[in-house]
Amino acid sequence: MRLLVLASRYRVVIILGLTLVASALLVPGYLSASTLSLGLDRAATIGLIAIGLTVLLISGQIDLSGGAVFALAGIVSVILQREIGILPAAIVAILAGTLAGAINGALVVGLKVNSLVLTLATMLIFRSLAHWITNSQPVSGTDIMLSLALAKIYLDVFTIRSALFIILIVLLHFWLTRTIPGRNVFAVGSNPAAAKESGIASDRIVFLGFVFAGTLAGFAGVLQSLVTNTGSPVFGSELTVAVIAAVVVGGTRLEGGRGSALGTLGGVLTIGSLTIAMEFQSVPAYVQQVVSGLILILLVMLDRAVTTKGRAQGTRPALVRDDPITQGGKAWLGGKAWLGGKA
Amino acid sequence: MIGKRSMLQIAAVALLASTGWANAKTVCYVTAADSHAYATPANKALEARAKELGVEILSLSQDFDVQKGTEQLNTCVARKVDGIILWPLDPQAYIPGLARAQQANIPAILINSPMSDDAKPFIKSFTGPDVYEEGKLAADSLSKALGGKGSVVIIAGQAGNGTTIGRVSGFTDRLKETSADIKVLDTVNADFDQQKALVVSRDLITRFGDQISGVYANDDTMARGFIDAWKEANPSKAAPPIVGINGQKDAFESIRTNEMYSTIVQSPVEDGRLAIDTMAEIIDGKEVKDRLPIPLTVVTKDNVNAVEPAF
Repeated sequence: MRLLVLASRYRVVIILGLTLVASALLVPGYLSASTLSLGLDRAATIGLIAIGLTVLLISGQIDLSGGAVFALAGIVSVILQREIGILPAAIVAILAGTLAGAINGALVVGLKVNSLVLTLATMLIFRSLAHWITNSQPVSGTDIMLSLALAKIYLDVFTIRSALFIILIVLLHFWLTRTIPGRNVFAVGSNPAAAKESGIASDRIVFLGFVFAGTLAGFAGVLQSLVTNTGSPVFGSELTVAVIAAVVVGGTRLEGGRGSALGTLGGVLTIGSLTIAMEFQSVPAYVQQVVSGLILILLVMLDRAVTTKGRAQGTRPALVRDDPITQGGKAWLGGKAWLGGKA
Repeated sequence: MIGKRSMLQIAAVALLASTGWANAKTVCYVTAADSHAYATPANKALEARAKELGVEILSLSQDFDVQKGTEQLNTCVARKVDGIILWPLDPQAYIPGLARAQQANIPAILINSPMSDDAKPFIKSFTGPDVYEEGKLAADSLSKALGGKGSVVIIAGQAGNGTTIGRVSGFTDRLKETSADIKVLDTVNADFDQQKALVVSRDLITRFGDQISGVYANDDTMARGFIDAWKEANPSKAAPPIVGINGQKDAFESIRTNEMYSTIVQSPVEDGRLAIDTMAEIIDGKEVKDRLPIPLTVVTKDNVNAVEPAF
């Protein structure tokens, strides 16, 4: 049992390690600096959106509209290039992502609706907007040389995009673990009512979580559009699922209250290295999806095994909410108190 | 046909002899999709031909997702393949990936669809159908059917679509070039749609009637639309010669029954084969042309039984 708990705790490290060892043994030419640099660059797109989603999931919410915001922000940044120049266009486009996130957040908090349903709706709306603005055609930017510069690899490992991702995720780690607002996100995710009672502005934190997620999706979209010199309404259409998978593999719970930045980093790297290993072996796309799905199921099962039996590890406040045993215990305590009263 | 195949085999053997089995070359093939009416036969033909040539194919499917394709180019580079064949779905987005490939000294070519001129410095060649040439061939075929004299209508595809523009301008340019005494009565768009073609054909038949001595449809589906409209209007009278493009199975049937005069086969199999043949030559150190069209075969009643339909 202890072993299982340990395995659950360090599962990202184990899975990432297993993936890398298996790939290195089975896939010829896998272990090289170029695989690392290109893999990192590829993972950075998923990773930037995953940063935003990690915070949201910890606070007990979800955002499905990330892929659509990604496309929309990219399009805005490319279309505006001709009017106001590349840098201002990029800034406006990131702010468009922020605005999209604010809309999500305001609706979820204001209407008190389920974020899964709401962001499903806004996902459709943002995606359709992207098609509408562009007439469903990809639009080209003004400066292909900038794209080539952005795609450059520094120190044999980093592109600008992958370096930004690593820096941001480390910052997120410190914010979540070392600051009070960071800790409050966990409190809101574990038990919003209790968090409110103890003076934490739950609604504000949830709202800002959506704003943060939207901004990062927009940022990732702008980077993608600058790197490809293209804004396309179909960009990011399959991104959302990959992002959620990466965050969940990283140990963040969909129910909220638990998760970590470094776990997400591990999850993103796992998904990235797995995809590349399978592509190296020319594994068809549909088989890749099956493998990713199986890994997710395995993780959920491991999670289940540990949370139902491993009570000793009970550091998860979320258990208080969804574990029937705990609730039964409360009722029993109440009964005893009543009995005590009578005696 | 047999002569052509044996020639290809000789070429294959020669190529094998020069590269040798031992160090098989790997080519990254970033295709449009795994399952698609045109792409699937093209993929299969490419892979089969690669096997004959002793080239290993690393096949990656974009599933019509441009972003996935741009990332797959990176995988190709990381895999240190010997060549990249890209089926572009966007005029621009692949350029940085192609640039990376070039930095890594990996030659790249495009299959089937063109990219913008910005991509030219990064690719060795573009293999695929030449739609302008298809228009010219259609003009020649119709001109032959009419004996160089007559007045025709053009049923075109979508307005603004690259294929439509190529197929229409190739046709009209060729008529001018040959100074044939053929007048174009009207050009109408029917969006490559049989139903729309039926509707516009009714109008054309009402307006021009017996004046129409020939018909050029941008594809076989729209040719079918005209045939049906003509049958409605003139049940007992034979239709004027109709020329289509694509070489679909049902067009072959119409040619056999004299409903159509000709079509042009644009074969996905040839599309796939030419790409890998070209890449094999590049890997072998040979110079290739920057534009290599796939063979186009005009099919009339004379050769309808000797040619395979495209799909």
